[in-house]
Amino acid sequence: MKSSLKRVLCSFLVIAMAMLPFQYGQAAMIGSDAVIASAASQADRNTVANFLNRAETATQLQALGVDAKSAKERVNAMTDAEVASLAGKINSMPVGADSGAGTLILVLLIVWAVWYFAFRR
Amino acid sequence: MTPAASYRSARLLAGAFFLAALAGCAGLVPQTMALRDAWPEGVPGRSEMPDVAFFPQEEYQCGPAALATDLVSTGVKVSPEDLVSKVYIPDRQGSLQAEMLAAPRQYNRVAYRLEPSFPDLIREIAAGNPVVILQDIGLGFLNTKWHYAVVVGYDYPEGELYLRSGQKKRDKTPFTILEYTWRKSNYWAMVAMPPDRIPVTATEATYVPAIAAMERVGDKEAAITAYKTALERWPDSLGASVALANLYYAQGKLKDTEATLRRASERHPESVVVLNNLAQTLSDDGRDAEALSLIEKAGQPDPKYAAAVAETRALIVQRMEKKK
Repeated sequence: MKSSLKRVLCSFLVIAMAMLPFQYGQAAMIGSDAVIASAASQADRNTVANFLNRAETATQLQALGVDAKSAKERVNAMTDAEVASLAGKINSMPVGADSGAGTLILVLLIVWAVWYFAFRR
Repeated sequence: MTPAASYRSARLLAGAFFLAALAGCAGLVPQTMALRDAWPEGVPGRSEMPDVAFFPQEEYQCGPAALATDLVSTGVKVSPEDLVSKVYIPDRQGSLQAEMLAAPRQYNRVAYRLEPSFPDLIREIAAGNPVVILQDIGLGFLNTKWHYAVVVGYDYPEGELYLRSGQKKRDKTPFTILEYTWRKSNYWAMVAMPPDRIPVTATEATYVPAIAAMERVGDKEAAITAYKTALERWPDSLGASVALANLYYAQGKLKDTEATLRRASERHPESVVVLNNLAQTLSDDGRDAEALSLIEKAGQPDPKYAAAVAETRALIVQRMEKKK
């Protein structure tokens, strides 16, 4: 637990350091986030909470069998809102997985059972 | 009660049950019922995209298969195998909705979640955009089975939609069944768009943020094209204007930045963000006097922008003094 917290903190610090030069490089131009609706309403953009969410989600993806590099890239491609919707909740989110075949067989079984028990004379 | 009367009341009761059942069924598929009275205007009764590729689903991997179907239809060269490492979670044997939306951005495609609406789904298909949907193809009361499929066509007079789904290349699904399975995901549906196209049902308020999400991970050129396309559709979009101008600015294209911001300024003369960024651009272009008079217009800006405006103003003044 302690080491995972350390890892999260370290990755946060590394990212925070990497971000620094960019903030100065942008001169006094105001960023696009300021005017793009959902981005602006995400108050936690570039905040600690956001970084922690990202680190946590990547860690959780890894725990579920995704390799470290992919997990990082996958989290990176998500918006802050998407990451926030997942952080700590991946296990309870729906995952699309099944093919239709199994259900059809189940339906046929039930139809057959209804016919067998209710209507057969 | 006479036999005749009890027979009548039984019939009445049966009738009531029948009506209730009918109402219940109608309640199960409210949007299909609504379509009967209000078919979306200007949309043909049937439409299909027969050329959309089909990738038969490997075990549990309907996410990668559905996404590949959608991406390939927009000209991306990708296979379901390529997408496994982007959207598949081995230990949960499936794909999350958030990741289905995130993955297309890595291929310079704008992932857009549709409104939870049957008419919108139909309008996108009629416009030639295959739609990925999330269905619960389990039996509801018995089990839940989440499944991604791609809707590629429909025939309303026949009452069917056509899906690339699982192992089936052209899965014919009645409107009612589709809605019944689809509504459990709160009608979750998405499209992936190339930068030069916009979904017909998209709105400025939801689509411009979708482009911004792509901008974070995709090519800058793709983002520029996407914002330009958005500005053709929504010329008043402040978000698309500022974002496009910032991309030009980052590439050092001061003239393009200026032109974009000037146009935005005509439409949003009160926008402090536009004023500030335009002043900064003019100053970088060596036109400090012009820049100064612009930044003065910002007056007492929103505290959010006060620091940036003060900084821009200080920079301009500093540059003017150097020149003296």
